[in-house]
Amino acid sequence: MRLAGLALLAVAVLSFPSMAPNPYILSTGVVVINYAVLATSWNFVGGFTGYISLGHGALAGLGGYGTALLVTRAGLPSFVALAVAGALVAALAVPIGFAALRVRGASFVIVSIALVLIMLLVFQSWASFTGGSRGLVVPRPFPGMLRPEHHRVFYFLFAGLLGLALLAWWLIDRSRFGLGLKAIREDEDKAEALGTPTFAYKLVVFVVSAAFTGLAGGLYALWFGDLDPVFQFSILTGSYMVLMALLGGVRHLFGPLLGALVVGIALEYFKAEFGNTPLHLVATGLLLGLVVMFMPDGVLPALGALARRVLRPPAQISIRDVTAAELAQRQPGGVR
Amino acid sequence: MSPPSSVETQGLTKAFGGVVALDGATVSFHHGKVNALIGPNGSGKTTYFNCVTGMIRPDSGRTTYKGRDITGKPPHVIARAGIGRTFQICRVFARMSALDNVLAAVRPGGLVGGLRGARRKAEVERALSWLTRLGIEHLAGVEARDLSWGQQKLLELAGVLMADPRTVLLDEPAGGVNPALLERIGSLVRELNAEGRTFIIVEHNMELVMSISDHIVVFDRGRPIAEGTPSQIRTDERVLGAYLGV
Repeated sequence: MRLAGLALLAVAVLSFPSMAPNPYILSTGVVVINYAVLATSWNFVGGFTGYISLGHGALAGLGGYGTALLVTRAGLPSFVALAVAGALVAALAVPIGFAALRVRGASFVIVSIALVLIMLLVFQSWASFTGGSRGLVVPRPFPGMLRPEHHRVFYFLFAGLLGLALLAWWLIDRSRFGLGLKAIREDEDKAEALGTPTFAYKLVVFVVSAAFTGLAGGLYALWFGDLDPVFQFSILTGSYMVLMALLGGVRHLFGPLLGALVVGIALEYFKAEFGNTPLHLVATGLLLGLVVMFMPDGVLPALGALARRVLRPPAQISIRDVTAAELAQRQPGGVR
Repeated sequence: MSPPSSVETQGLTKAFGGVVALDGATVSFHHGKVNALIGPNGSGKTTYFNCVTGMIRPDSGRTTYKGRDITGKPPHVIARAGIGRTFQICRVFARMSALDNVLAAVRPGGLVGGLRGARRKAEVERALSWLTRLGIEHLAGVEARDLSWGQQKLLELAGVLMADPRTVLLDEPAGGVNPALLERIGSLVRELNAEGRTFIIVEHNMELVMSISDHIVVFDRGRPIAEGTPSQIRTDERVLGAYLGV
């Protein structure tokens, strides 16, 4: 049952490029699956430890710029640059995590926002190296490839990265390490008192999360081909990740993926229809409000609860609802 | 001759702003015994626990455990040294099953051990045996937030015991607990003590304290004012003074 569902999901994700009616829809698919990777990567921190980071956009941006700069400045092959950039972002996540993970709750959120703003300033101001606001053009990894084919290839690359991130999340979810992380989410002091080295746990999972986020950012850079600090280091990117993960359900493997599908498609639709207005932001905010109010655990758990209520009869039947005769009939051998 | 010591503190001091919670507390708890720490409200008992377990850092003073200095060590290091504790307002992992609450106390054993499944057979059996011993094994699959207050207290204790501490600090185990459960907790403490575990118990229920303790330390205004056996404490004038204000 579970395996069948998994296979169905994989087929649905992988068959999308061949069903997309035109290259524009296909490119939208790439954007959405990029969101899915980002939201799933975010959920390593958000879902397991409950630390809400709005700063993951900065990690994606660093992965993007890292990849681009390694290609343009160091002359590395595109995908070598991507791997190195992912490793660099992971390494950079150690000192960042060291500073940020010391504080909890609202303070952590603010520190994570600060990270984005600092990076934005650095990459805008250091124009001689990063290209600043004029942007940075990333050479295409497959020169001569036609646009639809380019989108198709990157769609599958993102799908592969998504599979990897999901696998890692699943592995941690069922492990002792994962149980310790969830204990941190529930009550950090209590977990510490039970002997869990909470800070080390948080740092490790933050680094894992940063690595996947950096890789997603790097892949995006190679696909999109043009980077601008304003978009790479935007609070919005991190906010979208939070929204998608919360919407789908942070305690579920596929929650962020589902959230990315819903929010990503909605965002792209609103951008296409009302492109010149910030209406997509209003709609996004409204969506977040509704989810937090009516489905605080996300869509997946809410759907699960609904399914249980509809499909399964109530476990306990009140004695008042049935007569003794009916009860006797229900028993296989009747009254003894 | 005094018995060997378990937790020992010298001149432990902690002030919160202008309020002195611990005022040079020099105390020695006996190894292998059931120790009680009593005193009026605000006498510094919980602060003392928090300092010993590393939850808060004392302003000055030293803590040793079996002769080893543990002052200022992080809580998980102190926990791994063999000191387990429960909290005054019982703390469990609300959205985790009772079984997972207990399994969370398993030491992962390095990076490779950490990636092992959380529900390996040997550990699950050990966790279930603790739940069984505390009489809540039928609730193993229930989320902790759906348990009653008394059940949560038992669950918290099961989790602490899963880590196999040689010394257990209990902060008001009788708080908000019905008489039947109180009796069970009392006899459990005696049993576990007979198996070689040291207890240090903060408690207001004098009946429980007098019936299960070997050694009692009385705090007032952040420092010990008396210590001795239950019969000694019961007749100590300083203790009566601190409690009754005479």
